[in-house]
Amino acid sequence: MVSSELISTLKGLNRSDKFYIMQILISELAQQETNLIKPDQAYPVWSPYDAVEAADTMLKVLQAGQAQDHA
Amino acid sequence: MRNAERYPFISSDTALGEANFRPYLPFALLRQQSSVTISALLDTGASVNVLPYSTGIELGYKWERQTTALSLTGNLAQHEARVVLAQAVVGQFEPVQLVFAWTQARNVPLILGQVNFFMEFDVCFYRSQLEFVVSPKAPVSE
Repeated sequence: MVSSELISTLKGLNRSDKFYIMQILISELAQQETNLIKPDQAYPVWSPYDAVEAADTMLKVLQAGQAQDHA
Repeated sequence: MRNAERYPFISSDTALGEANFRPYLPFALLRQQSSVTISALLDTGASVNVLPYSTGIELGYKWERQTTALSLTGNLAQHEARVVLAQAVVGQFEPVQLVFAWTQARNVPLILGQVNFFMEFDVCFYRSQLEFVVSPKAPVSE
């Protein structure tokens, strides 16, 4: 929880110290993002990305099915 | 969004913390007298919907009777797949017909992709708030 005292202290810093604090925080955030993906762990990607032929075939089957329903 | 329903991102492995939250949509699949309620992964990068083998069996499909074969990509390329159609009921919305690549892969999630889930529904993702919003596509006349 960020206290109003801390906010007040940060606001009281001079310009260069504010930039310094900002750099520290950005560096911390970047490090945390990296830690989201663990080493030596498998992350299977099941997504059928770019399966355009399959998509085209499926659309044709879908349209044929809908035409049959309306006949 | 008009006529919209809001859903939370779900984490299946708390050990991974925030990295593991995914947009899983609970919905029902209907075919003749069979129905299955399942959570599906919304995957905007997937070209097609994917139905896991076990879910197809639960819905009463017979593999040998599905004659249209498909070639999938990525990890699914190593498994045979065939086309099936099913009615889908999402929340309180009207049922829609979805087309699936029914794969022989056993450990894959049900995936909702561009053909044709995202052709039927508009989805807005609010990942930072761990929520997403689903609504049926707008009628053509609007």
